[in-house]
Amino acid sequence: MQIKQTKSLLQATCPACGLLCDDIVLAADEDAINVASVKNCAKTLTFFSQKLTHTSPQIAGKTASLQQAIAHTASLLKASKNPLFSGLSTDVQGFRAIYNLAQKSNGNLLHMNSQSTARNMAVLQSTGWQTTTLTEVKNRADVIVFIGTDVISHNTRFFERFVWLKNIDDAMFTNANARQIIYIGERLNAQAGVAPDGKQPTSISCSNTDLPEILAILRALIAGKMLKAQTIAGIAINDLVAVAEKLKQAKYAVLAWIAKDLDFAHAELTIQSITETVALLNNTDSRAVGISLGGSDGDTAANNASTWLSGYSLNDNNPDHDFMIWVNSFSPEKSPVQTNKPMVVLGNANIQFAQIPDVFIPIATPGLDCGGTLFRVDSAVALPLKQVRENNLPTLKDVVRQIEALL
Amino acid sequence: MITHLKNGKIYCPMMGADGVVQDIFIRDGKIIAKPNTSEKISQTYDLTGKIVMAGAIDMHSHIGGGKVNIARMMLPEFQDSKYQETKRYTEPEAHICTLNCSHNAIPNTSDTGFRYIEMGYTAAFEPAILPINARQAHLEMADTPMIDKGGYAMLGNDDYFLRLLNSHADQKAINDYVAWTLHATQAIGIKVVNPGGISAFKFNQRRLNLDENHRHYQLTPRAILKSLSTAVQQLGIAKPLHVHCNNLGAAGNYQTTLDTIGASEGVAMHLTHIQFHSYGKEGDKKFSSAAAQISEALNKNRHITADVGQILFGQTVTASGDSMMQHLNAKHANPKKSVIMDIECDAGCGVVPFKYRDENYVNALQWAIGLEIFLSVEDPWRIFLTTDHPNGAPFTSYPHLIRLLMDKRFRNEAFAKLNLDAQAMSNLKSLDREYSLYEIAIMTRAGAAKLIGLNDRGRLNAGAAADITIYTDQPDREAMFAKPDFVFKDGELVVKNGIVVKVVWGKTHTAKPAFDIGVEKNLKAYFDRYHTIQLDNFKISNDEIAEDGRGGIIIETPSN
Repeated sequence: MQIKQTKSLLQATCPACGLLCDDIVLAADEDAINVASVKNCAKTLTFFSQKLTHTSPQIAGKTASLQQAIAHTASLLKASKNPLFSGLSTDVQGFRAIYNLAQKSNGNLLHMNSQSTARNMAVLQSTGWQTTTLTEVKNRADVIVFIGTDVISHNTRFFERFVWLKNIDDAMFTNANARQIIYIGERLNAQAGVAPDGKQPTSISCSNTDLPEILAILRALIAGKMLKAQTIAGIAINDLVAVAEKLKQAKYAVLAWIAKDLDFAHAELTIQSITETVALLNNTDSRAVGISLGGSDGDTAANNASTWLSGYSLNDNNPDHDFMIWVNSFSPEKSPVQTNKPMVVLGNANIQFAQIPDVFIPIATPGLDCGGTLFRVDSAVALPLKQVRENNLPTLKDVVRQIEALL
Repeated sequence: MITHLKNGKIYCPMMGADGVVQDIFIRDGKIIAKPNTSEKISQTYDLTGKIVMAGAIDMHSHIGGGKVNIARMMLPEFQDSKYQETKRYTEPEAHICTLNCSHNAIPNTSDTGFRYIEMGYTAAFEPAILPINARQAHLEMADTPMIDKGGYAMLGNDDYFLRLLNSHADQKAINDYVAWTLHATQAIGIKVVNPGGISAFKFNQRRLNLDENHRHYQLTPRAILKSLSTAVQQLGIAKPLHVHCNNLGAAGNYQTTLDTIGASEGVAMHLTHIQFHSYGKEGDKKFSSAAAQISEALNKNRHITADVGQILFGQTVTASGDSMMQHLNAKHANPKKSVIMDIECDAGCGVVPFKYRDENYVNALQWAIGLEIFLSVEDPWRIFLTTDHPNGAPFTSYPHLIRLLMDKRFRNEAFAKLNLDAQAMSNLKSLDREYSLYEIAIMTRAGAAKLIGLNDRGRLNAGAAADITIYTDQPDREAMFAKPDFVFKDGELVVKNGIVVKVVWGKTHTAKPAFDIGVEKNLKAYFDRYHTIQLDNFKISNDEIAEDGRGGIIIETPSN
């Protein structure tokens, strides 16, 4: 394994979560890539320190040539009436290739994050929303409410990059250190929300299953409804009144959620309570915005590319299939879903299997073994990924083209 | 290999050809002069009686980028399968939308390219590329087959520019930033949307008039317009500043539009979707046509151009950079949903589905206002045929719109079906003008190419790119323009009898005026401090556009 430019430091973009931090500085050290600029993000460190476990394709667990693996995959696909292309952990270029293959083979698409994406899409397609993006949060937010999430479990550097900044005047329109942080949710790690001067965040602790009710009450309070109850789900109404007041007083209130963390039945209704609270605030004399955070495995890129290619967003319906191709470029720790049908894995070179697939073709990981393009979690920004090491792994696009040629 | 188009009636305003019978020869994608008799003609098309025009150019159509994709994403209304089915969209004729399909208003990228080329359009320009979102716009345009494309980058609500202006930066600093933006975003023009208003909305201002101060920067839209239009003029690019005026869609906004023309101070400006900015507030309903005043101003001010942004009845969706005004318009949403976004200290967007109905007073009058403007502006070189796709109507309705312009009886019959109060408020029936084929060719070909600065498109003279559309002359102009007999793209036959016969991928037209690269020093400091991506990643390389060998860049330079 070789880092691409051994002489100089290389600036890279990290695809390990939806933030796509592009300030990553890498340096070569013998046969490893070291992250020189970031110490505190385990996801980034893990991503760039990946080894190359598998460099050859396998058929039924036995080493095979790329040609053999592709030929076998093509024959399985030809025999299939309704293949399922799942996982879809890839970048725009990889998704385009898979999409075209699905078009040619009457296949369906299912992303590994489809359930959480579908929660957001349900809200977008029902009422829409009023949202913002990361640079706006950094420069404007004076009140930030984290709902059902600590964010840092998904986006480790969120506070470092967008909330508590290196210099107090690194935000154009607000005093970064004076931001008010509020958490609502179950046993959330609120440590990151402590201001540089030690000011503690507001925490409203409740179980996730009480979130729908609490968010509905918050929305009612913003709407100016009078409530008779003194408490709701063990929370004093006055605590929520105080939150509502902070939101109304804010110059630019941000309400953040992560769809993956709102993992309960009809969570889309809770997201809708958040977005409708934002809409109400914008109809009074203040500004507020929502933002959906998290993101991984190219989910935002896949959803966007699917939408412009087909006209429809990705959904979470798991259709019948007689053959599955599992695509997983970014997350070797994530196993394919169980299937009793023939399965081909086009995946990261370090992927581990609970079930030996019929064919495994290790592919280049965008941002590591090849270039590419991903969308940030706020959907507004697409960023190029860089190749940072040299090896012979084929890209997903190359593999798909060769499969197509045999159909 | 030479292709010979024989005996067609040529309508090429660039050559002054108004239906003259003339042969055209094509070699290597270009139109050539009549070859020597020794050169072999490999193919001849007898076009006796047929009408030959350059490929049409849509100078303002929302075909790609964040807000367009949000519009697609939020409107799955007519999806007929619960699964993520793939429907052979990449096959040209496998997926033709019905009027009720949400794809009709906001097609996917394949449909966009196929439906355009089937109507004889060979280029379309995305008019609202947010610089920070330009990569997405180009990714989508790269997946749009058949046609050439390009776009206008939005400035004037971005904090970098507003800080420059607020700190009284000299015009050269503004010019360098504007030119740098053209390069970084691979755009061919500059647009300003609700000058200052998108930014002001982030500071909780809800309306911004031409001479009203932005609350934070203490700048007026007038100052923003002056700075940007001057920059565009001094950089020497062809496309004048593309202006979406303040007060979009508001009753009484025609005064803002007239004042904006006044604010141009003789510097060229293009006022886009001017129909949406031509509203008075006369009458019982406090909503009236100001088409006469706007047309008069356009006739008098020869440095101003405009496209109409005609509305046509039916379901569509409005996708605009104007978050401030779309937030106000959201109450009219149909279906009842909308997306409003603040974006990256760069701009914003607002996406609101609309259903225009002929029995609705306001909608009916909007329809009439657009047509009044078309028929009252005298110079077809300065008024352009658009529906602001998809905001007024989908681009697929152009053949219908052309018939409304060319056929007075057809137009009056449609008018008679409108809301009666709206009929009473419009002088449309008194306008007898019928557009000629030559004038349609100006509006949709020659004029558009000249405005944008496409040096070898929109014309049929030797040396031009062989983007050519051939129609059968039919009295029903809608049927005629909906289904050309042949379309050639860069010399290749790609449409026959209105059906795509070959899939090709167009190029991206850009403008790259010279500038002082020193501008990057301040930009880098600004990005490192306030932005959340690296300056280098903001810039889109030529390689990204040419990816896959499908696309490519054409750099247009001023021809004189």
